[in-house]
Amino acid sequence: MNRPANTKGARRERDRRIRINAWASNHRDCALDTIRRMLAQPVATAMTLAVIGIALLLPALLYVAGSNLGQFTDRLEATNRLTVYLAPDISEQSISEVREALDSSELVSSLQFISSEQAAEDFARWSGLGDVLDSLADNPLPAAFVVQPSSADAGALSSLQELLNGLAGVDLIQVDQRWLERLAGISRLIDRTVMTLVVILAFAVLFITGNSIRTLIANRQAEIRVMDLMGATRGYMARPFLYMGIWYGLFGGLMAWLLLQGMLLFLTEPATALLVSYGPQYQLVGLGGTGAAVLLLGSAGLGWLGAKLAVSRHLRALTRS
Amino acid sequence: MIRFDDVSKRYPGGHEALKLVSFDMGRGEMVFLTGRSGAGKSTLLKLLMLSEPLNQGQILVGGRNIHRLPANKIPYYRRRIGVVFQDHQLLFDRSVYDNVALPLQIDGYDKHEAARRVRAALDKVGLLSKEKLNPMTLSGGEQQRIGIARAVVNRPQILLADEPTGNLDPQLAAEIMALFEQFNQIGVSMLIASHDLSLITRLRHRILTLEHGQLIRDEHHPSRSGASPG
Repeated sequence: MNRPANTKGARRERDRRIRINAWASNHRDCALDTIRRMLAQPVATAMTLAVIGIALLLPALLYVAGSNLGQFTDRLEATNRLTVYLAPDISEQSISEVREALDSSELVSSLQFISSEQAAEDFARWSGLGDVLDSLADNPLPAAFVVQPSSADAGALSSLQELLNGLAGVDLIQVDQRWLERLAGISRLIDRTVMTLVVILAFAVLFITGNSIRTLIANRQAEIRVMDLMGATRGYMARPFLYMGIWYGLFGGLMAWLLLQGMLLFLTEPATALLVSYGPQYQLVGLGGTGAAVLLLGSAGLGWLGAKLAVSRHLRALTRS
Repeated sequence: MIRFDDVSKRYPGGHEALKLVSFDMGRGEMVFLTGRSGAGKSTLLKLLMLSEPLNQGQILVGGRNIHRLPANKIPYYRRRIGVVFQDHQLLFDRSVYDNVALPLQIDGYDKHEAARRVRAALDKVGLLSKEKLNPMTLSGGEQQRIGIARAVVNRPQILLADEPTGNLDPQLAAEIMALFEQFNQIGVSMLIASHDLSLITRLRHRILTLEHGQLIRDEHHPSRSGASPG
């Protein structure tokens, strides 16, 4: 009481610093101790992590599938080309008549001719079935015009279609857009599925970590009761379990990422071959840095939340009634 | 220091463990609480540790009604109270040292200060040489002394003990009681529940006797504070 105020203040400041240091070192001790505990029970830990990893792998995998399909649908707006297949027995004369008609039309902005020989060559190149074509007496592939309409307007497209239908030698008009539209539909379907799965499997991860934490709490009942009587706060008693939840989530997420990378590695060769056949701009894409960060942070967060829920329920039951 | 005002405790199911118990205990006093099993000794201590709610009356510790403490203050109240259990409640997954250090960890002591205090407490109970052992490998008397070291390491103002000598032979029991008297002499208020009448009457401290939940006797003995330390 009689001590000068500044000494007292200095002492309080020192006490506060000691307390903050102790709090920080308690966090560090908890973080390290929980890892030691995980390593002390390698089989149980590995199984929990594997379950979490597999639960997270599924949405991650679908997400990757979706972003690979997205490469095609992203270009959807740009392409509304028509492919105009010509009759197989068409004469050079008729071909140039069709070309003239299209060239002079305002509805067409650009035009590309693919002869039946070139079509056969392309087909042989990307299908690897050149021998089959060679064995045929005649080239079965028709010549075609790839038409880029000048306007994406529906009315303009239908008058273009009318014009084409009126030309002699035109066999089949294929709107390239249609398969892309279907692809976009599939892609949307995958996106929705990913979202639903993420929600469902997030709950699964919550339950898995919650249940593991519940077991850990039960195993440490005696310790919790003693600490409670010695004046440990809820936060102090909960801390090791929350760290455990974070580690479960984080390492489970890492497990999912490793499984995903393994699968992608295994799929790279056939998937790249398939994608490149659609054009050199298409490549197998993985989860990417952001995706991986979201996966790891999200799973760590879920692990923490699962632990938090388990801890608040079970600690309350163990401590003061 | 500790004051009970008409405290009653009924357990769910109707068993009335304490009926209108009132007493007052001064700072630095050493008090024994005796009575047969089931007389309410443990319940009384549990009410002081806030591990059971009470039904009636109030308990003041240092002038504060402890059962009115908000939940977030309870841990800090408990840190001021050392508790010794009959079954010592040691944790067998860690060393003697770590058991004794637990209250200091909880209270956020820095490691060097904690080490100093743990060693001082272990020295006091004569087990400094066993700090690295697992308490499971020690005898019952030694385990109880570790429990005592853990209870006093935080220098509590009040020490509660529930049958601390219940599992020990008479000589070890006397040693434990002598240890308690030493702590009392440095100013710690002590409330010790024991049914070992022959032992506690010999020690000549105040004795509260419970019977069927009621305080039936409160005997004061001459203080031994003048006696020279052993």
